[in-house]
Amino acid sequence: MTEGRLSRRDRWRMAMRAALLQATWNYERQQGLGWAWALKPALDRFYPDAERRRSRLTEHTAYFNTQPTLASLALGAVAGLEERRAAGEPIDSAAVARVKSALGSSLAALGDRLFWLTLRPVAACVGLVFAISGRWFGALAMWACYNWIHLGLRFAGVEWGYREGPDVLGTPLRARLEELVRGLSALGAALVGLIVATVLVPGGEPRPMVFQAALAGGLVLGMLTAQRARPSPTEWALGIGMLCIVAGWMR
Amino acid sequence: MSARLIATFLLGGIAAVDATPVAQTLLSQPLFTATILGALWGNLTLALEVGIVLQIMAASTLPVGARTPEDYAVGGVVGAGVALALGSQQPFEVSRNAGAMLGALAGMIGAVLGVPLIKWQRRRNEGLSRWCEDALARGDEGALAAAQWAGVALAFATGVCLTAVLVGGALRGLTWLAAHESLRLARAWTLAQPLWIGLGLAQLLNSFVQRRLTRAALFGISLLAGWLVLMMGSP
Repeated sequence: MTEGRLSRRDRWRMAMRAALLQATWNYERQQGLGWAWALKPALDRFYPDAERRRSRLTEHTAYFNTQPTLASLALGAVAGLEERRAAGEPIDSAAVARVKSALGSSLAALGDRLFWLTLRPVAACVGLVFAISGRWFGALAMWACYNWIHLGLRFAGVEWGYREGPDVLGTPLRARLEELVRGLSALGAALVGLIVATVLVPGGEPRPMVFQAALAGGLVLGMLTAQRARPSPTEWALGIGMLCIVAGWMR
Repeated sequence: MSARLIATFLLGGIAAVDATPVAQTLLSQPLFTATILGALWGNLTLALEVGIVLQIMAASTLPVGARTPEDYAVGGVVGAGVALALGSQQPFEVSRNAGAMLGALAGMIGAVLGVPLIKWQRRRNEGLSRWCEDALARGDEGALAAAQWAGVALAFATGVCLTAVLVGGALRGLTWLAAHESLRLARAWTLAQPLWIGLGLAQLLNSFVQRRLTRAALFGISLLAGWLVLMMGSP
């Protein structure tokens, strides 16, 4: 019935395919199609019978959504579950769907905070510190800072998920990731301070008073507007840009 | 059309692909694309000036929850592309700043205009998803791969087209303005650049600090220490 356990190559292929998890993101199934595509190497391994494999593939195109990097953990865990199911253990489609749903929402909650709210802004700040000093490698620093965690988790995640199963997001890993979020947030606050200092005194030469006053004005306005979701920072920035053009014309 | 413009349009497609459909490795962030465009157009300083402003705005724009965030992948390419294309036509420093002002604004407008296009792609992907499920039911497993790559191709084509339309439109409409009103635009840039940087940095700081006193203290200490080191020189 089954072709045995997933090989390292299969797990590698799943991690590679997870990069396309959001290629067909849509409002109905969200990452459903990408999920089935990423899981296919495992299903190919466990279900040599084409009919059964297609039936499983169709099941996995159902609604799924999570933070795309941490989806690797869920992929590994569900591949392990499918392996046991193919081996004849009493695991039905509803059980697989429950695990997907539970892992999806908890990984999304943690992943959104780790990647979108913390790591991406921190990586941007690292790049900005160099770029504001006029160094070309700011972009590379930003890329490297983000991807050693992002790509590391994407590739190691399938492995961890497969090994630990549905309990992959148990206490030790969750605690480590929560600690990472706290550490990165503190680093981010310090980096913003460093960026403000670099903007004020680039290369040891203080900026003109008008620049410093405008920067302070921008910081105060940003602090006030950050308390509300609407208008968005971009809408505020567009309004400021228009006002500055008007001011440039009138002066 | 110059090879540099074509390369700029293609970079818009690559950025659109990296932003969501493939890998999400931050190649699509304005700082990264501005650096590439700066090297391509031979004016890294101007590209970085615009790229820094757009990067700060992009970093404070978060893709969480149901909200579709502004598309700074294409916006970043449009912003730096417009600034560099306008700057390349002007010989003076003042015109360069005028290009930066118009480029940063074009980038933000591009980011806002990208939102309905992202929503349109997602609706197109619904059709792709239904087609794929029907094909799977008929026994065609290859449909999964075809659908994935079709999604990537759609994102790439949309990114290229949006970049081409916005950069092309901006060049057609703004070249005269950048050449004849460069002084006024440069004045506007002198005022807008620090305001934009301050606005974006405050948003970032707010998301990091989360009302925790120790993080606010870290911000203050690093600001003071950085300022002192830069003013006095490192010990």
